[in-house]
Amino acid sequence: MRFFLSKEKDDYTIIVGCGRLGANLANTLSDRGGSVIIIDNSNDAFRKLSPSYGGLTLTGNATEISTLSEAQIEKASAVVTVTNNDNTNIMVAQIAKELYHIQHVIARLYDPERDCVYREFDIETICPAVLSAKEIDKLLNMPVAREDAV
Amino acid sequence: MKTQVLLIGGFQKTKYLSTSLIKKGYRVTAINADEKKCLSLAEIDKLSVYHGDGTKPFILEEANAQNADIAIALTERDDSNLVICELCKKKFNVKKTVALISDPKKTDFFYRMGIDSVVCAISAVANIIEQQAFLEEMATLVPIGEGRIKIAQVPISGTAPTVDKMLWEINLPKQVIIGCILRGDKSMIPRGDTRILAGDVLVLISSDKHETAAVQELTGW
Repeated sequence: MRFFLSKEKDDYTIIVGCGRLGANLANTLSDRGGSVIIIDNSNDAFRKLSPSYGGLTLTGNATEISTLSEAQIEKASAVVTVTNNDNTNIMVAQIAKELYHIQHVIARLYDPERDCVYREFDIETICPAVLSAKEIDKLLNMPVAREDAV
Repeated sequence: MKTQVLLIGGFQKTKYLSTSLIKKGYRVTAINADEKKCLSLAEIDKLSVYHGDGTKPFILEEANAQNADIAIALTERDDSNLVICELCKKKFNVKKTVALISDPKKTDFFYRMGIDSVVCAISAVANIIEQQAFLEEMATLVPIGEGRIKIAQVPISGTAPTVDKMLWEINLPKQVIIGCILRGDKSMIPRGDTRILAGDVLVLISSDKHETAAVQELTGW
């Protein structure tokens, strides 16, 4: 089902930042058959992409509107900002939402305290620190659960 | 209560701006992420300096951003300046936020994000260079109201077409007025029947769109 969905014409994802997360996501989406473009300001970053990556790459500064229009942002159904700079992620996400009205905007945010900037813009955020804390907390509670079981 | 101004990032600009603002009686606080620059800024009398990344809410809190009346983001990065202003506005309820940006294309976007005043250094400098290079006749030009209104000082040379004409005879755009005529060491407020002489310096108040046309009309340039 997922496969057919991603084959739809409208499905076009822009990923900003080709780090570990960005490259991984780009590989996954492209393997699934979606059309993907990944933007990074360094050409070298694209080496992280797998040899089978079938999407596009664009070298440039995604905070510049000209770069985003080169990536045909107006046609995108989703924009994911995963650079290593929170502020860049916030700005690109806001440009995507406010100037181009992209339906699905997801930003990775290291610092959960900046949350108030996003809240009213309908931007989805992923915060690794919060996710890790939850996961570790779950693991810490596991042995207790096991003891109960025994 | 003194008006409190918070300057975030920027070194030379902060140095200059804080000195000038303190002189005018404002209470100024500066935040800088570089320790050495902080030490250098701390030498300025009456300036409170905080060391840290101004895009982090807790640093802004430490610097009492909630008490600031005006926050000015002067870092080199547009995205940092956007986030600083948004944090100041939304989290700390600062009344007025000013952002310095380097990409002129993003000016509108910044205004849409609720920033009160957006200053684009590159376009401002480019404008000044353009004036200096192409409107040599114009000595000084002061933009006010975000650059929408300009006060210009226009010297009239002997060859200008307006020499010996009365003001009502000159076909100036409606949005332009001649506020003052400097003649020798005297200054006079002109009326419609005042005659322009060679060597006069006119002080023009105009909207930015009509200023070039007005200067051309006056100097024949």
